[in-house]
Amino acid sequence: MIETKKKKIRPDGPGKVTGALKYLTDLSFSGLLYGKILRSTEPHAEIQSISIDQAKQIPGVRAIVTYEDVPGLNGFGLIFPDQPVLCEDRVRYVGDAIAAVAADTIEIADEALQLIQVEYKKLPVIVDPEKALHPDAPKLHPDGNLLHRAYYSKGDVEEGFQSCSYIIEETYELPRQMHAYMETEGGVIVPEADGKLTVYVGTQHGFKDRYQLSRILNMNESDIRIVSSPMGGSFGGKDELNIQPYGALLALATNCPVKIHQTRRESVRAGLKRHPMKITMKTGVDESGKILSHKVRILADTGAYATLGPAVLDFAVEHAPGPYIIPNIEIEGLSVFTNNGVAGEFRGFGGNQVTFALEGQIDRLAEKLQIDPIEFREKNLRQVDSPGPLGQKIAPTSGARDVLEAIKEKEVETTNESHLSDPWKVTGTGVAISIHGGGLGVGRIDPAGGRLSFTKEGKIEAAFGFEECGQGLLAVIETLVIEEFKCKEDDIRIVVGDTDSVPISGSSTASRATSMVWNSIQRMKETFRGEILERASRVTGIPVAELNMGRNGVWLNNGNLCVSYAELAERTLNEPLLNVETSFDFPVSPDAVVDGSHFLYAFSSVLARVEVDLLTGKVKVLDLDQTIAAGPVVSLLGYQGQIEGGGIMALGYSLMEEAKMENGAYVNDNFDTYLIPTIQDVPFVMNVEAIEKLQEGDLYGPRGVGEIGTIAVAPAIVKAIHDATGCWVNKLPVSREFLLEQMSTRGEKRWI
Amino acid sequence: MDMKEQTEILSPPQIELSLTINGTNVVLQVPPTKRLVTILRDELNFTGTKISCELGRCGACAVQMNNQLVNSCLVMAYQANGASIVTIEGLAGEELDPIQRAFLEEGGFQCGYCTPGMVMAVNALLATNPSPSDEQIQEALSGNLCRCTGYGGIIRAVQKAISNNNQEI
Repeated sequence: MIETKKKKIRPDGPGKVTGALKYLTDLSFSGLLYGKILRSTEPHAEIQSISIDQAKQIPGVRAIVTYEDVPGLNGFGLIFPDQPVLCEDRVRYVGDAIAAVAADTIEIADEALQLIQVEYKKLPVIVDPEKALHPDAPKLHPDGNLLHRAYYSKGDVEEGFQSCSYIIEETYELPRQMHAYMETEGGVIVPEADGKLTVYVGTQHGFKDRYQLSRILNMNESDIRIVSSPMGGSFGGKDELNIQPYGALLALATNCPVKIHQTRRESVRAGLKRHPMKITMKTGVDESGKILSHKVRILADTGAYATLGPAVLDFAVEHAPGPYIIPNIEIEGLSVFTNNGVAGEFRGFGGNQVTFALEGQIDRLAEKLQIDPIEFREKNLRQVDSPGPLGQKIAPTSGARDVLEAIKEKEVETTNESHLSDPWKVTGTGVAISIHGGGLGVGRIDPAGGRLSFTKEGKIEAAFGFEECGQGLLAVIETLVIEEFKCKEDDIRIVVGDTDSVPISGSSTASRATSMVWNSIQRMKETFRGEILERASRVTGIPVAELNMGRNGVWLNNGNLCVSYAELAERTLNEPLLNVETSFDFPVSPDAVVDGSHFLYAFSSVLARVEVDLLTGKVKVLDLDQTIAAGPVVSLLGYQGQIEGGGIMALGYSLMEEAKMENGAYVNDNFDTYLIPTIQDVPFVMNVEAIEKLQEGDLYGPRGVGEIGTIAVAPAIVKAIHDATGCWVNKLPVSREFLLEQMSTRGEKRWI
Repeated sequence: MDMKEQTEILSPPQIELSLTINGTNVVLQVPPTKRLVTILRDELNFTGTKISCELGRCGACAVQMNNQLVNSCLVMAYQANGASIVTIEGLAGEELDPIQRAFLEEGGFQCGYCTPGMVMAVNALLATNPSPSDEQIQEALSGNLCRCTGYGGIIRAVQKAISNNNQEI
């Protein structure tokens, strides 16, 4: 299916395979200084004093900044700025910054950090979100420890449970996952001769960084330029500010370019993670297999500061009913401050956690009912015109049914017959499905837009305020421009990731960039084409009706080149620059009542086949096939890569990954102890099927696929483990010890 | 910190390091314990060699030293003295190396940050074993982490490089 489409080489590909592409952490400038950030050694303490006197004495130290040196607001945060840039009197986690040093070499900066003396008075450390909610718990923030509560209900769940034949109530526990992008946070901040500041640091929303930095530095936004692409991965983790404020303060203090590139350990200690969640679900069905009632409680450990914690919780609450029609629902979500590492934006955005719990419920109920889990899903599945998960009007879609149908066919083809000669190994198959909203949701500022220009050199310039994190944005833009104007790669100039030269497009998050690039081009294409042909007509005297845009230039209907783009540009040099811009908002539901709920959704189904070693409890994923319904495929390699890559990131989440914390300190802070999947851990062949159809009249085009490939993987793997061993798993990552214990208590083969 | 230690940090002792990098001789004065990855990136501006875990686990800094694949974060200057180093920048001539071409065509990368190390590892594999089995591919690339692709595109790229190779023969 997906293989039939033409593969295209990415515009940024040659630079990447040859190593010629300069990442922002590869940049060098003359007079470059190196920056280092001093982080707290305590997860929770009062700061009694900070002394930089000794550190300042070291030759080669050029500047040391503390809270006293922050000219503007000493705080940052995407929703509200509750995280101090540099702590003054209190630290709340081990990533809290206290000082930053610029020096001639990294070694000197490191030495200086060690000579900065901080006196702490330890405070009680809160590591358990349940305990954080206790009325007697120390307050981490002025309003207490509850960051956010989200609630939704319809019908009457208790009454619903009365009519149920079977009820399942379970608590699911999800781990703290690292983004583990290969390029850690970093870049260079350059003070310009005219007093402006250029920030070469990766982010997922350049304009938002500019806004946050202007508050901190007390500078005009127009005096700050953010260059944010390319990046060596982000997955949500670089959306919030990271090293930018420190680099900027040091660059301004020294009037020199300052480079900061965090080591992996520094990155782990300070950086965001996926929210650990504890989710209790009580779900009931009637005799016929209709789900009648669904009660959900979500407890999220958001760590020390807010960042996008409230929005992640809202998303989890919204997706708790999944793609199912349930008459009685009650969902309560609580996001709680602790002294653990800060949790925030991460690919899937709360959907991964809640879908693991929901699909776990569905499979357990199917077992109770003794019906096929797919048939059970079919019975309760949303229809084309069904409302969204929280009752809101959404763009009609058959996605849920389409992905389930597709996986049903695949499941028939898959057999559990083990050809293994090893009697200690068993195999099993599992299926799960998911729904995932795109865009930031209703009630949120979510602008989109773009610009098409015809440059003096005769290039079609496509400019967007999005970032290339690795996801393949440039390929998407190039493909869509070529599709629309029939031009060729060389005719196009793409501009992204530079606030001085791009229009506002919103963030490169929430699976929104591809979708918004397509929508922008739809809005601009007629005007742009009209103007190009108009100009060509004026220059050549040939009527517009006989002209078309194409490769190299404007063509006649008879198939001959009329005028090349280069010539057209040259002959219209005196005319005003041809510039078409659009700005609009991401489409939202007209009647949504719950903040953040969505209008456009993508769907996935996953078929996982696993092999479980009964002697060691090791789980190996043999097959991981996904079907995605997200509208038309724009860039084939990008689409396939997002789904496969997302799937394997979720395989890690299911079986391997947990950033453990003990008393507020990270236990595994590099790839020697925090294991992410290697090529040995993945199925050698994965199949990705794209269902491209949209409902008739759907005007919204391709939905993004940046996140959807990560959502339904964990529940499918866990169901496959159940199929193989008879054990239900409620906690990720799946523990081998737990499996062995369960299998031996169930009378399965024992540990020797 | 005593004075001696501080002096060593501020003005560390230097050795004369002589290297061949991508066929060109280089001589420079560096501290004997300076890591090869830092020499390549900071002293010589070969930034195609990346830095990620700095403890030899991820392979982002992989280069070839005397025809052996090494993690350049684990090699110190004195150990590299007299060695012949090939970095990602040394792989392509006028044309892309066939492995690089296969990575391009099959989507063997996304963010691209692991790609130089990954390509060097594939190069090292195919140099000694032009038709590796699936297991041998997995073995040879298990020291190179990729967070974006899930390895699907990388596997297809390696398979394509192998089949192109075999067709040429």
